[in-house]
Amino acid sequence: MTHAASPAGAEKRRQGISFRRYLTSPQSFLVLIILVLVAVIGAAKPNAFNGAFVVAPLLTSIAIFTIVGLAQMMVLSIGQMNIAVGNMAAFGAMFTGMAFDLWDMPFLVGLLVGLAAGAVIGGLTGWIIARTGVNSFIVTLAMSFALLGLVPTVYSMLSPGSAFTSKPDGMEFLGRGTFLDVCMVGYCGPAAIPVMVVPVLIVVLLVGGLYARTKLGREILLTGANIKAAELSAIPTNKRVVLVHAISGALAAFAGILLATSTGSFTPAIGNEFMLQSFLGPILGGTLLAGGYISVTGTFLGITLALLIRRGLELFGAGVEMLNIFLGLILLVALSAERIRTVRRRRPSQAPAETPPDTPSEKEAIPSGASA
Amino acid sequence: MKFKLPATMGSQYLVLIATIVLGAILLGVSSGGNFFGPVSMQTFFQFLAVPILIGLAQMITLAVGQLNLAIGAIGGVAACLAAVMVADWGFNPWLGGLVALVVGAVAGIANGILVVVTKINGFIVTLATMTVLLGVQYALVNTRTISADNWKSVAALGKASWFGLPAIFVIAIIVAVLVGLAFKFTTTGRHLLASGDNEHAATLAGISNDRSLTIAHGASGLIAGFAGFVSFASLPGVNQSVGGDWLLSSFAAPIIGGVSLTGGTVAVFGTVLAAFVVRLVDSARAEFQLAPAWVNLVIGAVILGTVALGRLRETRETAKAGMLRARVANHRINTAAVENTAAEEVKL
Repeated sequence: MTHAASPAGAEKRRQGISFRRYLTSPQSFLVLIILVLVAVIGAAKPNAFNGAFVVAPLLTSIAIFTIVGLAQMMVLSIGQMNIAVGNMAAFGAMFTGMAFDLWDMPFLVGLLVGLAAGAVIGGLTGWIIARTGVNSFIVTLAMSFALLGLVPTVYSMLSPGSAFTSKPDGMEFLGRGTFLDVCMVGYCGPAAIPVMVVPVLIVVLLVGGLYARTKLGREILLTGANIKAAELSAIPTNKRVVLVHAISGALAAFAGILLATSTGSFTPAIGNEFMLQSFLGPILGGTLLAGGYISVTGTFLGITLALLIRRGLELFGAGVEMLNIFLGLILLVALSAERIRTVRRRRPSQAPAETPPDTPSEKEAIPSGASA
Repeated sequence: MKFKLPATMGSQYLVLIATIVLGAILLGVSSGGNFFGPVSMQTFFQFLAVPILIGLAQMITLAVGQLNLAIGAIGGVAACLAAVMVADWGFNPWLGGLVALVVGAVAGIANGILVVVTKINGFIVTLATMTVLLGVQYALVNTRTISADNWKSVAALGKASWFGLPAIFVIAIIVAVLVGLAFKFTTTGRHLLASGDNEHAATLAGISNDRSLTIAHGASGLIAGFAGFVSFASLPGVNQSVGGDWLLSSFAAPIIGGVSLTGGTVAVFGTVLAAFVVRLVDSARAEFQLAPAWVNLVIGAVILGTVALGRLRETRETAKAGMLRARVANHRINTAAVENTAAEEVKL
């Protein structure tokens, strides 16, 4: 993604180093690590890449968690965070479950009900943040606990076994189907690719297009990069904050619903594992915590890497505790590596000595890398 | 660096105290007076120690403008390591308790060093260390529960009572007083507040922000480790769930108590009072036999309400001040204009 904020004079210099810059970008680094990991796992366990039993579940979880990562990335793009991402997923999935179980709705309508519920709860969160000006961390933390209380209560009131288990037509196909079930002119697709990949790919393209092609996406990024400048440029920043949180809530709900369709039932436990992963993906992929810079491909690659490592550890027989330890360490190492990269990049341009080394100067790290 | 409490803070304490008294009376009436019985009071104060301690642990990181997601994980690892050392490896129970404190301090200092060296957002660093520590905790105890019968001498402290109150509650209050004194009277405490209030100004005043961050995270970890020790001493057994539900109350106590999230303020008394409120909600839940989920719902709503109300009051006050300024300015301009015309009239 080229950066709109880079000065026009740097255009020529940028072309000269663009190839090197491309090679040293976090995304290509991630691709390299992913390839090495695939090779290592493939060499150590030759049957590790059995299509239907290993690759298809792996792709399913990559698809679901990419959406989770995008839900977090949306909010990170305006320099805020969403601690409640897992709980919003549970909230949205709960409504879809209710739509199927209590109101006998068809699959697509139920899906829309869930997405709308996620958008509403996300929009409410964004509205509270924009209206009161309170730190997004606290608002989403409080929201996450409010939902953590609400969701199991609703489940235990409305369903006998604390789960909605109705399966309307189409749910099984989206959640567990692979391209083996999609047959055209006597030829069926490979069993290794789940059907879920298609809607997820569409959503990824939509989010990518929003940021890369639309004015709205640019306005959101500017709101994240510098909210005062955005306001002075006549961008209704409060509306953008509410919108971004609503989209984030809808994406979280989508991920929750996808997870429910792949496991077959709607339970309050949906979304429990989303929080750490949601930060892991975007941050590994180069999205800035301070806001104003995102990478959709990076988020996808970051999620892929995290899940690949997870699956690899499982194949080698590591327990839950090792998974946690490794995921935490990966997050730390990846962030330190990112920090070293930023510092190395900035060194030639010699940042002025009086700038304190805090977040605002970090925000300029990427655009200034273009002129280095 | 606001240490002298503004008038609004004083009223906040009054509101908190009124809430506690009212809540206690309501609980007492609805339980037919059982709530004020000796056994019920003893448990109330016994399980108040941990909310106070974790609230203080979080408050110290908030004071320097950081936050610590790993408090629950640090306390959990501290308690589990102590339990495993005593039960499996045959160490002296008191040595186990000491190790819990050391583990907490080391984990906290590690957090601080990571934040300082990598310059990464403290949120992400503590999220990562939390994940690692949860893994360690699970690796230590797996799915078993280690019974407190293995460390009877320490468990006796958990059940002891001093001056009619549970010993661990008295200890938690002593820790709170020490923290309050440290922030008020020691140079280090003042440095922490200065760094939290304005990093740049603190640097210009010759204060090392790196040192402040490391000390704050270290102290936070130490107190979290101490909360782990209190759980080790007072719970009937230690398992992997210790520390799992600390995250919300660790933030609830300081925020309801009036600590600013942007750093530079502490409110030890407010934090302790807010821990009372959190504990009252928990007792009410037990009294009315509601699902534990209700506590999360209520406290989540209370935090949102507190923060939003505080913020609204602040904006209303600035708006009022702005209006006043505008009126004064308007008045001045008008008087000037009136005087001018008056002078010109005189000339004519």
